[in-house]
Amino acid sequence: MSPKKNEILTGLPCESEEASDSSGLSVSRRDFFKTVSIAGIATAVISPGATRAQEGVRAIGPNSVPVELMINGQSHKLKIEPRVTLLDAARNQLDITGAKRVCDRGSCGACTMIVDGRAVYSCSTLAIEVQGKEIRTVEGLANADGLHPVQQAFCDTDGLMCGFCTPGYVVAAVSMLEKNPNPTPEEARAGLDGNICRCGTYARVLEATLKAQGVRRG
Amino acid sequence: MGDKHQVPEVKSPATIESGAAYSWPEAPILIGSRVKRVDGPDKVQGKAKYSYDVNRPGMLYGRILRSPYAHARIVSIDFSAAKRAPGVRATLAILEPGQRAMYQGDEVAALAATTEELAADALRLVRVKYEVLPHLATIAQAMDPIAPPIFEGGNVRRGNAEEEGDLEAGFAAAAHTVEQSYSTQVETHQSLETHGCVCEWEDGKLTAWASTQAVHGTREGFAKALEIPQSNVRVITQYMGGGFGSKFGPDVQGITCAKLAKQADAAVKLMLDRKEEQLAVGNRPSAFANIKAGVTADGALTAFDAETWGTGGAGRGAGFPLPYIYQFPNRRRVHADVYTNAGPQRAMRAPGHPQGCFITELLMDELADQIQMDPVEFRLKNLPPKAPNAMWADYFPKAAQRFGWSKRHPTGDSTPGPIKTGFGCAANRWGGGGRGSQARCEIHPDGGVVMRCGTQDIGTGIRTIVQMITAETLGIPFEAVIPEIGDSVYPFSGGSGGSTTSPSVSPAIRITAEKARAEFADRLASALGVDATNVVVRDGRVLIGEDTSKTMSWKEACRRLGTELVSVDGKWERGLSSSGSSGVQLAEVEVDIETGVTKVKRITIVQDCGLVLDPLTAESQVYGGVIMGVGFALYENRIMDRNTGQMVNPNMEWYLLPGMSDVPEIDITVVSQPERGVIGLGEPPTIATAAAIGNAVANATGVRVRSLPITPDKVLESLDQLF
Repeated sequence: MSPKKNEILTGLPCESEEASDSSGLSVSRRDFFKTVSIAGIATAVISPGATRAQEGVRAIGPNSVPVELMINGQSHKLKIEPRVTLLDAARNQLDITGAKRVCDRGSCGACTMIVDGRAVYSCSTLAIEVQGKEIRTVEGLANADGLHPVQQAFCDTDGLMCGFCTPGYVVAAVSMLEKNPNPTPEEARAGLDGNICRCGTYARVLEATLKAQGVRRG
Repeated sequence: MGDKHQVPEVKSPATIESGAAYSWPEAPILIGSRVKRVDGPDKVQGKAKYSYDVNRPGMLYGRILRSPYAHARIVSIDFSAAKRAPGVRATLAILEPGQRAMYQGDEVAALAATTEELAADALRLVRVKYEVLPHLATIAQAMDPIAPPIFEGGNVRRGNAEEEGDLEAGFAAAAHTVEQSYSTQVETHQSLETHGCVCEWEDGKLTAWASTQAVHGTREGFAKALEIPQSNVRVITQYMGGGFGSKFGPDVQGITCAKLAKQADAAVKLMLDRKEEQLAVGNRPSAFANIKAGVTADGALTAFDAETWGTGGAGRGAGFPLPYIYQFPNRRRVHADVYTNAGPQRAMRAPGHPQGCFITELLMDELADQIQMDPVEFRLKNLPPKAPNAMWADYFPKAAQRFGWSKRHPTGDSTPGPIKTGFGCAANRWGGGGRGSQARCEIHPDGGVVMRCGTQDIGTGIRTIVQMITAETLGIPFEAVIPEIGDSVYPFSGGSGGSTTSPSVSPAIRITAEKARAEFADRLASALGVDATNVVVRDGRVLIGEDTSKTMSWKEACRRLGTELVSVDGKWERGLSSSGSSGVQLAEVEVDIETGVTKVKRITIVQDCGLVLDPLTAESQVYGGVIMGVGFALYENRIMDRNTGQMVNPNMEWYLLPGMSDVPEIDITVVSQPERGVIGLGEPPTIATAAAIGNAVANATGVRVRSLPITPDKVLESLDQLF
């Protein structure tokens, strides 16, 4: 359990945006997300302070705000800064650490989660954006009957080595097979091209995915 | 050359010495069978807790401030604003005024705060005044005669010539010579789990959950740097997300994390981000070679004269073996290490070998072309004598047959159309071999068996190997054994590098389990009043002599031990492992001569590694090595901007890694040599891939790209030579 939860619930004073302004440095990527995604402002070079000052834009934050996330069928109430990503909210606040942070900019897929049936890079998705949506992580795939068929196929074919990319790959494969239960090898390759593995498990990840295809979740 | 980061070659015996006290079973049940990875279910469910996943009560987040400049002197560091920032609990200067940052990403200062976001904000408030100094970001800048002297003792360190035979006579005997330049790029490790750890102090004792390839080595590193007894440090690595040679000690970030944790009196997590990972914690050095080599009309190598150099970044060498494998009776080589203001190199999967292999194997094909000889036939003529650790003379024909090498056309695909197909080949060698791992086996009165060893699983599957050897040796089911690894409180085992983990750990496990089996038999025999030699455990049943009525379950037999459990220590001994592996790879590529894009279609690999413990995970190692080799061949490249000294692609979208669609069909033959014991397989399969692909590209297009990676622009540029 992350200790930060308590600290955040007590409502930490947060001057992060001011800090960023006074440093004279440009906004961070997270600030960029926040600016673009929440305020809907395309001119990301505007500092967050300036954004807040604009008329007609409802500012959220910068301090912690209440956020409710529905992850694997369970509701979680958090108080987090609006700039916190879905990945970081899960990992740092909820100790849901299956999804990994690897590139932190939507290139590698290790953080893949399924939001309302669609595979997303949770490192590039703000937590506040996915409130009210159904979020599924690798932790939610197995049930009382055992491993999800995709998980079982990964184990059977040795479709994993160090295992750090594996949760993202499993979730990406599940998401793809839910949309296209019987992909051709070419379709499966294309469907899994959004993930990167450094150990080089690709051949067996593909084998596992094709092996698991068409298998309905009992 | 003589680089301390290079694992030495085949120095220990290539065969098992006779008279060893222990041996591998003659008719194994588990060893050699396809045993599934025991931690697979935890990994596929997200239950496996990596260091990055460890969350501790009251934990803070650490961040390191790094030099934005390739070369700068620290004038001052001012934490006053950062200390006032919300959530900040500890600050630390890593460099002092007057000291120099030697590359972009060199560590300058650090802090810890209550959330990651607040730590990142506060880091921007640390005011560092830099005196920016001239930099040498590229090898060309560093080798320029008018380059400023940046590194003490010179930017270029030239070694002594290595010489053998009579070079002049060798060239006189040559019917043809080739004189060419070759190069390989800087490759970064790109471990998916970045470097870093979680540190927590209690009563002056440090616990570090570190992403490391060496829990014991990292414990020693922490103790030395923090000046505390090793017994006050515990390093835990239950799972780790790749290392490839870059994670052998606590490093600056680990020591920094421990200091921040001490200062704040709270646990601190300090994991690097991807950019830091790309800049500061290791890479494979580049390699360059100007070579002149000679061959007789009938295909005998006569002479090899090379000037080589490379950069391992700021203050590190760039050695690699050359010539590689093939025997030039007369040769000379002079090597220079070139220092640049770029992230320093570290050991990376078969340090030096992919570079030496690529350069030598391309040269070999050019020589073969001179005399119109088939590349495989030419290699067979120039191999070292066949030996258990030098089996290429068998493997080339075997691989050629599997691959369909006889369909190879001469250099240059003459079929019409833009897609040209080509075949290429290359060979590799590696040392591997065992050293002093220790283990402890406990047999509990409730039937439980625990085997403990302070090794760590970097993704190769050693946890599975520990479990299967223990079960095999004790004669009990695989599921009955609990393997415990990844903790420095367990018996010593060395770092997981150099393909030494399996040949170090598996003998220790075999011997320790044998000792436990013997003590178990003694104890049970005395409890039952029978002779210990009559106690046999098979398939989880304990047989007492010929009398089947006395047969009992393992659990029942353990209950007879009373309360005193069996606990024995054992360690690696000679006799169950040896050293030296060999392998060959053949590649088929398609090159689009309109776009310059190369696609690898097929790789056939024949590779040995001594006794194959688990073919399933062994094949995964080979897949992984080949795929990393595809990246080295076609995509990966650390690009430095010479004007700013910045790395241009410190991420995962512009530093290109192979993806699912880039992976060729891979035909694997892992040759088992049970008589040689365990040798190790982590490194060898990555060595020859890029060389085989490079030769296949030349066979396809008729022109040779002599520099890695073989990118479309280089292919198109090389094709310009034809017109």
